[in-house]
Amino acid sequence: MASRRRTLLKVIILGDSGVGKTSLMNQYVNKKFSNQYKATIGADFLTKEVQFEDRLFTLQIWDTAGQERFQSLGVAFYRGADCCVLVYDVNSMKSFDNLNNWREEFLIQASPSDPDNFPFVLLGNKVDVDGGNSRVVSEKKAKAWCASKGNIPYFETSAKDGTNVEDAFQCIVKNALKNEPEEELYVPDTVDVVGGNRAQRSSGCC
Amino acid sequence: MDPPNPNPDGDETTDNQAAARLAALSLRGGRDLPPDFHTAEIHEHDLDEEEEEEEEEGYLTAPSRGGSSTGAWKETFHDDDKDGDDVSPHSPSSSGYAGERGSSLDDDPEPEPEPEPELAQDWPRDKKHLDEDDASSSWRKRKKHFFILSNSGKPVYSRYGDEHKLAGFSATLQAIISFVENSGDHIKFVRAGKHQIVFLVKGPIYLVCISCTEESYEGLRGQLELMYGQLLLILTKSVNRCFEKNPKFDMTTLLGGTDAVFLSLIRAFSWNPATFLHAYTCLPLAQSTRQAASAVLQDIADSGVLFALLMCDHKVISLVGAQKATLHPDDILLLANFILSSESFRTSESFSPICLPRYNPMAFLYAYVHFFDEHTYVTLLTTRSDAFYDLKDSRARIQNVLLKSNALVEVERSLHGSALHVENLPTDPPSQSASQPPESSRDTSSQSPSEITIGGPAGLWHFIYKSIYLDQYVSSEFPSPIRNQKQQKRLYKAYQKLYASMHDKVIGPHKTQFRRDGDYVLFCWITQDFELYAAFNPLADKTQAIKVCNRVCQWVRDLENEIFVYGESALSW
Repeated sequence: MASRRRTLLKVIILGDSGVGKTSLMNQYVNKKFSNQYKATIGADFLTKEVQFEDRLFTLQIWDTAGQERFQSLGVAFYRGADCCVLVYDVNSMKSFDNLNNWREEFLIQASPSDPDNFPFVLLGNKVDVDGGNSRVVSEKKAKAWCASKGNIPYFETSAKDGTNVEDAFQCIVKNALKNEPEEELYVPDTVDVVGGNRAQRSSGCC
Repeated sequence: MDPPNPNPDGDETTDNQAAARLAALSLRGGRDLPPDFHTAEIHEHDLDEEEEEEEEEGYLTAPSRGGSSTGAWKETFHDDDKDGDDVSPHSPSSSGYAGERGSSLDDDPEPEPEPEPELAQDWPRDKKHLDEDDASSSWRKRKKHFFILSNSGKPVYSRYGDEHKLAGFSATLQAIISFVENSGDHIKFVRAGKHQIVFLVKGPIYLVCISCTEESYEGLRGQLELMYGQLLLILTKSVNRCFEKNPKFDMTTLLGGTDAVFLSLIRAFSWNPATFLHAYTCLPLAQSTRQAASAVLQDIADSGVLFALLMCDHKVISLVGAQKATLHPDDILLLANFILSSESFRTSESFSPICLPRYNPMAFLYAYVHFFDEHTYVTLLTTRSDAFYDLKDSRARIQNVLLKSNALVEVERSLHGSALHVENLPTDPPSQSASQPPESSRDTSSQSPSEITIGGPAGLWHFIYKSIYLDQYVSSEFPSPIRNQKQQKRLYKAYQKLYASMHDKVIGPHKTQFRRDGDYVLFCWITQDFELYAAFNPLADKTQAIKVCNRVCQWVRDLENEIFVYGESALSW
């Protein structure tokens, strides 16, 4: 086994249904793309090992379902996330407008210790569609939104041809690490017999 | 490499479909566990019933076993086959021959005589099978998985495979648990065909066992409780605070290097009765020898040590607690497992923080450990982190006394021969038995008293006697009919089941149980003072068996000064 410790990062992918969350995962993890739409049920879990700045990471990717009926999964899914990736479709204004909801919902449910600095990354997907002619959300508009939320990094991606997908995930790792808490010493108490700190045996006494 | 299909004549489609469903299970948050996803397992199940506990053997393929089979082995195999089916009466046809069920064993067109040599070499080196993950068919076929994960779904421990590669699977488990918790409920277990998935939630730590070993839910849950206890022994419950401060907390770093401890505990589930009896066992010793050891330990305890234990492997020679402190049998089990499975304790005297979860799960004690020889070691537990040199001196005093009293030699001798053999059960029934014999109801099975000469009288093969008052048990040596490890494990599994049914909270507890199947006659008798578990040859006569059980109890009482530790615990009552 490598002497160097591996780090596991929990990454949550959020966004409206049909914006291409699962396709992005598949492009990133399996280098595959399918035009067929297959709704995610609940959540899919993928694992990917990445190297970043000489360290080895395992990304535990939580690809969630975009449909509203799955939103009740809430807290449990978001708990302990290291990074949250928001995805919208550059050809759908509604999916862009909903980003605020996704972001706020995440912060409420996951309740991270420092919500203002929690690492998000925004991906504008499907830039390949129709040669960009059906695009309704401009890059400028997206970047303005990112700036207003504390400079969230932004990537324009295509799950179909793979544009920017690798770069986006490198950034996700980098961002997740930004918040890495410094290691603390693990020092539990010591039994204090005099102070009555002793648990009673629950059985066997008569 | 994937193992060869153990059932070449079988329905491969079923196999693949089931595998696909299993894949769906691991990727889909387990929303719908297919009720029949075990179909792929059915054939293999019969073939590698016992393998899962046999890490020594690793993953054996059916053909390789079939190729090397002997008549005797086939019999064993067939017996294994039925393990767990004992609730239903065996049909006459099931008493035939080995090939009957899977049919692949003898009919295999191209039996591979031996396992692949390079694979065989891999097993001892890498019992964890780090190359496996939830996508490997070998991983899926393992009979018993254990997982520890955090409530954010981060993997902490897996018995098989690399934890990081199982990150997705771990997330699935968390999703299942959390999904149920979201509705204000708790998930206890899921049954899917022959598989049982048992969940144990301990604050921010989740423990999961996936098993197709036919063990009871209570039994598996008890094992998860011990896994959690072992984790607490290493870390204390203070680890919860780390999760409160930081939900992203990754516990694996704190558990570095403790894989062997958990693996050893998992193995103990299949050979150590202490794991389900919640009692400890002693090394048989002459009363005077034990008293000499106890006296010096008591001296040490009086001078500020909380607990002093002298042990030989998993058996207690003597134990002493200061003031009113008592040790729970589970703590003794977990402490001994921790010490015996960590190689470093053997090589030098050690001083290590440990927590006794039943004594105080919140805080550390400090354990001084020293091995006098390969098997015998003393453990001194204190609350003082600076006590190393004092305890070193104490140990020297103990060592002196043990050498002078010849105790270590006696221990060595006992280790190699003073155990209870059923063949030595006194033939003359005692004139005065203190307890009432269990009622001998009409025996419908009217078998003639067997002319079996193996084992003890009336076909007695083995017994375990637990003294309820002492929290101690004693078990006999295995006679020739259950000489090999596989058979012993199978008997323990049968005992575990017996234990679970006797202590069943819904329909129990019961006082006696007499059970006959193709493998054994099992008899259990529980009174206020003791629990007796006995195994007889399957043809044993019921009336005779009950008589012999009475004699066993008397025998144990006659020997109690040598086989139990007395006195020390009196301090605590």
